[in-house]
Amino acid sequence: MAKYIEMIRIRFLMMLAYRTNYYSGIIIYSINIAAYYFLWSAIYGGKEDIQGLSVIQMTTYIAVAWMARAFYFNNIDREIALEIKEGKVAVELIRPYHYLNMKTMAALGEGIFRLFFFSVPGMFIVSLIFPMEFSANLSTWGFFGISIIFSFIINTQINLMTGIITFFLFNNDGLMRAKRVVIDLFSGLILPISFYPGWAQSAMEWFPFQYISYVPSMIFSEGFVGSEVYNAIMMQLVWCLILLVPIQVLWTLAKKQMVIQGG
Amino acid sequence: MRYISIFMQYVGQYMKTRLTYRSDMVVELLSDLLFQAVNLIFILVVFGHTKLLSGWSKDEIIFIYGFFLVPFAFFSTFFNIWDFNERYIVKGELDRILTRPIHSLFQVILERMELESMFGIITGLVVMFYAGSNLGLTIEWYDPILFILFVLGGALVYAGIFISLATVSFWSDSRTAIMPMMYNIGNFGRYPVDIYHQVIRYVLTWILPFAFVGVYPAAFFLDKTEWYGYAFLTPFMGILFFGLSIFLWNVGVTKYRGAGS
Amino acid sequence: MDKMIHVENLTKEFKSYSSRSGLKGAFRDLLTRNYKIHRAVDSISLDVKPGEMIGYIGENGAGKSTTIKMLTGILTPTDGTVTINGMNPHKEREKFVKTIGVVFGQRSQLWWDIAVQESFRLLKKVYNVSDEDYNEHMSMVIEALDIAPLLDKPVRKLSLGQRMRCELAAALIHNPPLLFLDEPTIGLDVLVKLKIREFLKELNERYNTTIMLTTHDLSDIEALCERVVMLDEGKIIYDGALNQLKTSWGEGKQIEFHFKAAKSREELNAATGKQLVVWEPGENANTWTANVTNDEDIISQVIGDVVSNHQILDLKILETSTEEIIRNIYEEGVIHG
Repeated sequence: MAKYIEMIRIRFLMMLAYRTNYYSGIIIYSINIAAYYFLWSAIYGGKEDIQGLSVIQMTTYIAVAWMARAFYFNNIDREIALEIKEGKVAVELIRPYHYLNMKTMAALGEGIFRLFFFSVPGMFIVSLIFPMEFSANLSTWGFFGISIIFSFIINTQINLMTGIITFFLFNNDGLMRAKRVVIDLFSGLILPISFYPGWAQSAMEWFPFQYISYVPSMIFSEGFVGSEVYNAIMMQLVWCLILLVPIQVLWTLAKKQMVIQGG
Repeated sequence: MRYISIFMQYVGQYMKTRLTYRSDMVVELLSDLLFQAVNLIFILVVFGHTKLLSGWSKDEIIFIYGFFLVPFAFFSTFFNIWDFNERYIVKGELDRILTRPIHSLFQVILERMELESMFGIITGLVVMFYAGSNLGLTIEWYDPILFILFVLGGALVYAGIFISLATVSFWSDSRTAIMPMMYNIGNFGRYPVDIYHQVIRYVLTWILPFAFVGVYPAAFFLDKTEWYGYAFLTPFMGILFFGLSIFLWNVGVTKYRGAGS
Repeated sequence: MDKMIHVENLTKEFKSYSSRSGLKGAFRDLLTRNYKIHRAVDSISLDVKPGEMIGYIGENGAGKSTTIKMLTGILTPTDGTVTINGMNPHKEREKFVKTIGVVFGQRSQLWWDIAVQESFRLLKKVYNVSDEDYNEHMSMVIEALDIAPLLDKPVRKLSLGQRMRCELAAALIHNPPLLFLDEPTIGLDVLVKLKIREFLKELNERYNTTIMLTTHDLSDIEALCERVVMLDEGKIIYDGALNQLKTSWGEGKQIEFHFKAAKSREELNAATGKQLVVWEPGENANTWTANVTNDEDIISQVIGDVVSNHQILDLKILETSTEEIIRNIYEEGVIHG
């Protein structure tokens, strides 16, 4: 366990070292959220609410969705793909730890860094400029906390899968790009799932994407209330467990592939 | 002249490698199409809930998007250097570039071009014609000429912004993750800028002038006379920002530290 | 033109950050940073004549690569002047690089996915070489490096030795009068090394190409270079002929005698006298080594004295190797003589 915690710490320090990244990131994120705020205000154009969300809830939703993204987002699929292409994975496999766990921990280190030094101050700045509603209800914050942890796990699981697929494809870039686009669209990052037409919503039920962004953002902006919250978190847990299966299968196949081809 | 013949030579090589890995190309085209679809879906979904966006109709917004895709296709074909820092600075590939007798930026562009992104021009034209015919727009004799001028201007604006961002790597030793976020900011230039607060409008017009790759030039074809002034500025903004980025690049190269030692 | 390369007081400084340790330190780094100026190359001056072959040596981090990168126009010097072929490398970069060839042993110049000859063709275009010049010159290069059978293979399929020969050919497409080689033989086997050395000699004789070579393998330098420039901590500590280095630093010679019978120090001293020789016992009582100064008269006198007094089976004259000399120099840090 200690080595995994060490990995989290190292990543955390690495992130801290890149300070240009840090400052420019906050500014760019703020511009982004601000632009979305005005775009949505224009879309509402005086309407009280759309699909049960008021303008203020919508702004909160968008801001929190982007800030939560800073936490769950990571590039480990690209890292894994690169290590596979350069043949470094074979070396990683001799080391006394589980490769995928180590990657996950690295991602977590990055996520925690961004949460504390990026999302929290960023959210504070944004909330000063734009009208937003922060719940006074402690349980909302608690559920949101649980929910973004699951978001992180689900997103990371999907990234691990896309990364491992590199073993079987010559060039994985297209797939990784497509994955990113799909997640942006279907996770509820740029549009709440409830805005989609009914048929699209029911189709999306069959995919894990909305549990990455839609659920935590809805919990935070109190678009979900009562039992909706419990159900949503339960579904997140279910998806975390379901996704373990394909990862395990792919990883086993990948290791076999590596024995044959020699990494 | 010499640069053109070198360019053709690189294009030839590019085709050869691409034809060897045909499946890659298909995947790339598909992911491009998907990317273009996402933004269209956003517009469609939003207009499922409202009729007008600060006085602009759904088809007008779609038309702007269609226009945007054309300069964006040029940009992603030639100036898609978002991984410049990792590839050329951190791994030191720029060493090699700098030992060759062609302008360094030109070489980087030749090595990183992705000709299949040109397909976006077709998508863009299709979207524009679809929206245009819904709006009953007519084409005058001067429209194609202005279209080409505006497209080139827009592509140069985009290129200028991203090249300038890439040059940051010459000064700063750190990886920057600004590039991907910048793509997002670029999206905001496709909506009527009067919906934004003055500050953001100012940013999108003069600092990160993404509005010149979308709403301003497209407004001309939509006969929005109040925006004509900005529309005609497009080619000049393109030249200005592109020129500025080349200047930054040339200064930046002298600050290059090399990889390792 | 009497000078190919003229370098005066060339200096390169790098600014580096030193990060504070621990988490707390890392937070402080976010706000303020400690800068440190490191002088990678410290005011060096150097002149090279056309047709010279120069070995540029030094330990890791001595500033070799930084110098080469400044000479090739990749890095901008902090201070000092560089004039090569009458041009300033970083000011007139594009014009300048047409007159040089560069090979980085650890970095490929060729395009990974395409066949070698396609890379050549691309470079021919890049350097604007005419068909006649290309055909005439490259047919010689291709033959001498024996790479004709490799031309239609993609670079990623080549072995390191094959690739290196192709890299060398690629650097010569425009037949430059000046060639920089940075660790060109790193990781190569002996046969490929020999082939490359032979080729470089031929190139130098035929076109009077000036060659500047950095390497860790001193046998490269012994085989090719008459002149060596030695660098330590960014400063030139030796610049001169390789022979000179050997005579002033190869502090003497050793003569190893293998006698028929066991000998004692007294017996040997009786034969040669104590002033000229210091005897050292070898593996067994039959083997002794005589340490003498590097002087032909003394050596022949000692050998004569020993042979006329004792029966020997074998004798060897050992010279201090260049490697040893260089190790000595770096250990003492200064040059004498």
